[in-house]
Amino acid sequence: MHKTEHKISNKGNVLFVSFVRFVILLSALVFALAPVYWMLTISFKTEGDQFASPPLWFSFTPTLEHYYDAFVTRAFGEYLLTSAIVAVTSTVLALVIGTLAAYALARFELPFKLNRRLSLWILSTRMFPAIVTAVPLFLMMRDLQLLNTRAALIIVHTSFNLPFVVWMMRGFFADLPRDLEEAALVDGDSRLGALVRVVLPLVSPGLAATAVFCLIVSWNEFLFALVLTQTDAAMTLPVGIAGRVTQYEIKWGVMSAAASVAIVPILVFALALQKYLVRGLSMGAVKG
Amino acid sequence: MGIEFRNVTKTFGGACVVDDLSLEIRDGEFIVLLGPSGCGKTTTLRMLAGLESVTSGDIFIDGGPVNDVPTQHRDLAMVFQSYALYPHMTIAENIGYPLRVRKLDKADRAARVRRVAAMLEIESLLDRKPRQLSGGERQRVALARAIVREPRAYLMDEPLSNLDARLRVQMRGELKRLQHELGTTTIYVTHDQAEAMTLASRVAVMNKGRLQQFDTPLKIYNEPANRFVAEFVGSPSMNFIEREHVTEGIRPEHIQVLSTPEDGAIEARVYVTELMGNETFVFLSVGDNRLIAREPADFRADVDTKVWLRIATEKIHRFDPVTGESQKHIK
Amino acid sequence: MPRSRRFFNAQNKRELLLPALFLAPALAVLLALSIYPLIYSVTISLQQESAAGATWSLGNFTRLFSDNFFWTAMGHTLVYAVAALACEFLLGLGLALLLNNQIRGRSFFRASLLVPMMLPTVVVGVVWRLMLNPNFGAVNGTLKQFGVDTESLTWTASPKLAMLSVIAVDVWQWTPFVFLVLLAGLQAIPQEPYEAALIDGSSRWQTFWHVTLPLLKPSILIVLLLRTMDLLRVFDQIFILTEGGPGFATETISLYIYRAAFRFFDFGYAAAMSFVLLALTNIISALYIRFLQAKES
Repeated sequence: MHKTEHKISNKGNVLFVSFVRFVILLSALVFALAPVYWMLTISFKTEGDQFASPPLWFSFTPTLEHYYDAFVTRAFGEYLLTSAIVAVTSTVLALVIGTLAAYALARFELPFKLNRRLSLWILSTRMFPAIVTAVPLFLMMRDLQLLNTRAALIIVHTSFNLPFVVWMMRGFFADLPRDLEEAALVDGDSRLGALVRVVLPLVSPGLAATAVFCLIVSWNEFLFALVLTQTDAAMTLPVGIAGRVTQYEIKWGVMSAAASVAIVPILVFALALQKYLVRGLSMGAVKG
Repeated sequence: MGIEFRNVTKTFGGACVVDDLSLEIRDGEFIVLLGPSGCGKTTTLRMLAGLESVTSGDIFIDGGPVNDVPTQHRDLAMVFQSYALYPHMTIAENIGYPLRVRKLDKADRAARVRRVAAMLEIESLLDRKPRQLSGGERQRVALARAIVREPRAYLMDEPLSNLDARLRVQMRGELKRLQHELGTTTIYVTHDQAEAMTLASRVAVMNKGRLQQFDTPLKIYNEPANRFVAEFVGSPSMNFIEREHVTEGIRPEHIQVLSTPEDGAIEARVYVTELMGNETFVFLSVGDNRLIAREPADFRADVDTKVWLRIATEKIHRFDPVTGESQKHIK
Repeated sequence: MPRSRRFFNAQNKRELLLPALFLAPALAVLLALSIYPLIYSVTISLQQESAAGATWSLGNFTRLFSDNFFWTAMGHTLVYAVAALACEFLLGLGLALLLNNQIRGRSFFRASLLVPMMLPTVVVGVVWRLMLNPNFGAVNGTLKQFGVDTESLTWTASPKLAMLSVIAVDVWQWTPFVFLVLLAGLQAIPQEPYEAALIDGSSRWQTFWHVTLPLLKPSILIVLLLRTMDLLRVFDQIFILTEGGPGFATETISLYIYRAAFRFFDFGYAAAMSFVLLALTNIISALYIRFLQAKES
């Protein structure tokens, strides 16, 4: 499929293969996006249109009634706010704590091969299946009377974004040549001062990408939010949407309106940072 | 009071990189650490700066031990081989950084930055970023950052090695002039013996972690302590002839090439001549040995011509063939 | 001699203080929220309620052997994992190979393909519940237009089709990930081996088998490892799509643990099962990693 193409001297054949490729690409795109589009249409259709047969892909009159219902009449506005607060706060905390730890692991030589061992250990905590820690965390939060609070969610989200921040930032720090920090030290700055004034500005793109990734993970998170919050006080958007599903009368319009809003930040970030995201998601797959 | 290294040793893993180094540097001196790559000179400089820990031994600055003093409190300035300019700051901010870190107020900082920039003729560059500057300009910014503070000493790690030949010679002169004006102790690391000879008030020659000789440039050149120093310093390097119980060395400028024989002259053949323009290098073969002689620019001889060499016997150096240590040369 | 002296040297003590301070908050958070819960979990799994209060016992673990729900759930999990992995891998690899040379519109294409895996899992569940709804979903609606009888195609409500449906949803969401990682891996392969193979007269299939695949092995193994770990612990999408039903037809191990803990409040038993799951994922990832390291050497 690579350069063996040269064997085919017939130009028409080459064009045909390109055409087939294009068709496949397009089909993949349609398969990926059509279901999401479908959900968007449900959120804008009246209930009558929703149940129409054959299904209406394009020819319907849009309505905003479900959005109004979800965010004004019902509590989805609050869920949205909670999701945002938890995401931002836990990301900030994870970034601060994680970046400091990453810097220590990248720059200081620790005894007993701790640099490598600690990095691997920190990374391994991310590997637990969520349910394994969710059950004891529920009990711990219950004992601390932190159930149904935003604080509990923030704490938990920080703890599972932390390994990722450490892993990413350590890589960025390691890529930076040391002599800039050494120059800063000789110039009279403290280690922390050098970190803030010289190093951080230089890794800020990486920091930004890490931040966005943490925001997305926290925003999407479901299981811990489900387990730790049952009441409207601290419910996040994903749990709120799920609640509508497991009830008797399912309000599809409301549900899809809420879901559509839930994906807006994702789409924005995905478009802006798709290069970094592939690298982060594959966790170094290419380099092995 | 100056700087002192007392029996300083540094090991990395199993390897000994600096071996029992002792040096006393007087206030205001321009000291050059000279040696081939891997000889430990940069590590020595970094230990003085506090960027490497000392395995054993002590370092003193102005009489006080500094082994346990962190880098930022040693009040030294360093010019790195890569210049280490902060890429995200302007030139003015780069130069002003040491002052900012010491919490000098803005007006004071700006004045001092401007003064130093004028001294090094880089005022027009103050608003630019490092990536917009040429190599020579960046080097001057690195220098400016070092002198803006008036530290106890300047440490320089091969600062000229990234410049092209012409610029290097020019900067060499300016550095020497600058140090003379400022009068601050300077410790300068290089593998270029010409730089060492022209800049230093004293040179410390190092090889494989050990100090070979610590002396004025002239003494190093005329009275090398061992074969390594004799061979390393001087270009083209000294000629050596291995004899049974002694190694003899003679510098190219102490060999005269004659076209006619005379008393005491040695027979030789011309191997090749190199016309440098200001002088001529003559490569000669004497039996199994090859020698180089320096002759004035108008010297000419064809390949394989038979010639005679007059050697200034009082200039012959003698070295122990096993240890390389110098024996006093023949008077 | 120098080694021990260096470690207790005063300067080195100070050198260790700063990194220790930098590392402390992160380690504290992880110990409190990742390690301590595990320890807590161990203790409750080894306890059982009896008339005299909580006593130490292995009862939770022995119960596993005779619990049908547990073994069914394990079975479901393995079926789910293997089927989804196979489909995602083959589709992803096929797409990557096919589209390796496509250059036009790459950024837009890559960004669009990222969408399914960036979505909150809840939304994925919602999207597909809407698509697969027997009455007004787009799938049945479109099938009807092609004349297919959709009477019995109740997808997530059908005991026979539910597992297929949830697997299909996972394939929809994660094939792009496999595709993108393998594509990146393919593009990192240098041209020389291909040129050498051409000169040697190798056919397309031979080139693929002997040149492409071996050079792609690290990427393949990593992507398989990541997907396997994710598939074994799947919860969110199935919870939204079927809640483990109909009946318990799609209940995977995470869902059963959830049910034990939050429907029956049998935390000890849930903890015991969690450890089995944890052990399973650890063993499998260790096997993968060993395989990966063996290949690299």
